[in-house]
Amino acid sequence: MKKSMLFSLLAVPLALYGCGTGGNEGGQTPSEDGQNEGGTSGEAVTVDFFNQKPEITAQLEELAEMYNEQSENNADVMITTVGSGEGSAALQARFSSGDEPALMMLNGLPEIERYSDSLVDVSEMEVAGTVIDGLLEGGTINGTQLGIPLNIEGFGLMYNKELFEQAGVDPDSIESYDDFVDAVETLDSQKEELGIEEVFGFSGGENYIANQFSANFTSPEFNHSILDAYSAEELTWEYGDQMQKYTDLINEYNVQPILTVDYSRSVEELFVNDQVAMVHQGVWIVPTLNEIDPDFAQEKLGILPVYGESDTEGKIPAGSPWYIGVNGNLDEAVVAEAQNFIDWMYTSEEGQEMILGDLAFIPAQEGYDPEDISDPVSRQIYEAMLAGETSAFVHNQYPSGWFQQELYPEFQSYLNGEQSWEAFEENTSQAFSEMR
Amino acid sequence: MKGKKKNLYYWAFVIPSLLVVFFVIVLPLILGIGTSLTNSDGHNAVFIGLNNYIRLLSDDQFIYSLWFTIRFAFVAVILINVIGLGLALLVTQKIGKVSLFFRTIFFMPNLIGGIILGFIWQFIFVRAFAGIAEATGLSFFNAWLADTTTGFWGLVIVFLWQMSGYIMIIYISFLANIPGELIEAGKIDGANKWQAFWLIKFPMLAPAFTVSLFLTLANAFKIYDLNLALTNGAPFGSTEMIAMNIYNTAFFQYQQGYAQSKAVVFFLIVAVISLTQVFITRRKEVDL
Repeated sequence: MKKSMLFSLLAVPLALYGCGTGGNEGGQTPSEDGQNEGGTSGEAVTVDFFNQKPEITAQLEELAEMYNEQSENNADVMITTVGSGEGSAALQARFSSGDEPALMMLNGLPEIERYSDSLVDVSEMEVAGTVIDGLLEGGTINGTQLGIPLNIEGFGLMYNKELFEQAGVDPDSIESYDDFVDAVETLDSQKEELGIEEVFGFSGGENYIANQFSANFTSPEFNHSILDAYSAEELTWEYGDQMQKYTDLINEYNVQPILTVDYSRSVEELFVNDQVAMVHQGVWIVPTLNEIDPDFAQEKLGILPVYGESDTEGKIPAGSPWYIGVNGNLDEAVVAEAQNFIDWMYTSEEGQEMILGDLAFIPAQEGYDPEDISDPVSRQIYEAMLAGETSAFVHNQYPSGWFQQELYPEFQSYLNGEQSWEAFEENTSQAFSEMR
Repeated sequence: MKGKKKNLYYWAFVIPSLLVVFFVIVLPLILGIGTSLTNSDGHNAVFIGLNNYIRLLSDDQFIYSLWFTIRFAFVAVILINVIGLGLALLVTQKIGKVSLFFRTIFFMPNLIGGIILGFIWQFIFVRAFAGIAEATGLSFFNAWLADTTTGFWGLVIVFLWQMSGYIMIIYISFLANIPGELIEAGKIDGANKWQAFWLIKFPMLAPAFTVSLFLTLANAFKIYDLNLALTNGAPFGSTEMIAMNIYNTAFFQYQQGYAQSKAVVFFLIVAVISLTQVFITRRKEVDL
């Protein structure tokens, strides 16, 4: 008797638990903490800023505090952070539950479009007038500007200048794909003398790296235009041959098994410790490099363009990965205060100091002196951006979920020799049209 | 009068839990089924009938994930119960205080969250195994998690690691409840250790099997955190289990109606399998 009693006591809640989670699986969202701490005095205008970049939380909080102190309207700007790819799911949960933030970081046009009914036109804002040409279009839906670019990021093949020098390769002399192959082979032939494991430390185990890498080759197909990429109904892999060449080259001279090389191994272990000469990465690794080796970014870091369009035309993809949207569903006072904060952040002296200093952004605005940008790679990208010599961040405009669910698995499958390049192009291209 | 009062107490105790169950489980389930009949993207939804369910039939990745999960659950359930029971038998031997120590050790992995376990084991599989391969030249240790087979077994091993100790505790409690006189009587009748286990302990453990099988089966199907931390579906989506497939559909592709229909199908499958298992194993239980 006792035993069956015990069983039923155990089983009832377990069975309920089983049903409950089984039915809810699709609706689970990560919870967020500490978002309702504000609301000090009755008059305070609370502006909730939804941040998707955990690495800048502390700096944003500092900015918010500075702003709150000098505000005459008793503003209370708060930062809520959910990152690591879970941000957009959490943001959606905030909207579904009615607890909408006033300001939010949005990633690319597909995400901006999803919230376009809620967002206000930002073209009249002070900051909008200062943005570098062409960047605002990344936040424009049907001709209305709905997002302010947060900053500029750029990526490409980042290399270790010191290793190149030791191997006798002059990065400035690389002017075509063939030069690049020569450089790789020279480096490879001196692996032991240089003390490197392999030439490349490409992260085959990170979906966003595959996504960014693809932008080198899809940007020319979309005429280096964010809007073209966003409205494209299909992806034909017009420059797929170049991508295959690069992929094969990297795979041949990469740390293996390439599929298990993740971000931290690639950057924090191999690259920063001079064990690989090149990684496909972007300027966001600079703070991490600085933490591990304060001189690395200043003295050793360089960036090479990828010859995506043809063997002689190399470009660095650069653009704004994040756009700040202002939620128009809230009280007028909150909306005005939210816009005020963004204007202040980008146009006031304190704000600009923070942008170049602690945030270490490449500014998305004109009028900064390139010399004020601390690390050389960021400076190079800012100058290239001003001169219009970069390719576009088309990878943020792919259909939602396409890179995680299609591009990345198919790319991995090719890297591992499971399928041909033709199959890769065909499968991803078909899914692109279906998901658009 | 007395009956009425008793009734009042009865409902006073039951209603709060009923309300919670209704709002937390029944209502979301109904809403979920409703959503699964729409093309919801989280903001707008249009009723499209059973189209989502029809589309499921030709969704290769969904069917692959489902099949992968079923294989995983099958292997994991058998191994966890064998190992859990084995450990339980070991630590219930009369070996003094040491047994308490081992119980704690075996149970320990269950106290670590799935995400952290996943990352720890990812390090072991990718880095430590590579080191072993280099040192010994055994190709068996090479390139773990880089192909489908090692990805599958990697998940199984970590899940075993996590769950076996927990299931062991359940078996221990049931083993301890077997009356000593039964075993003693068996001994007097000339049963050896082997016979005592198979003919006396094993049938007496039937209720433990019901609970343990149910727990492991349901958990194996619903696994997500471990999957996310250990492989995140890689390589090439071949270790994407069903819960992850649903989550990704909902929050990467924003096809929440479609994801919900997957969840409903998933729910039905888990419910049918678990209830069948409980029904079958309960019939085998013996009551003293």
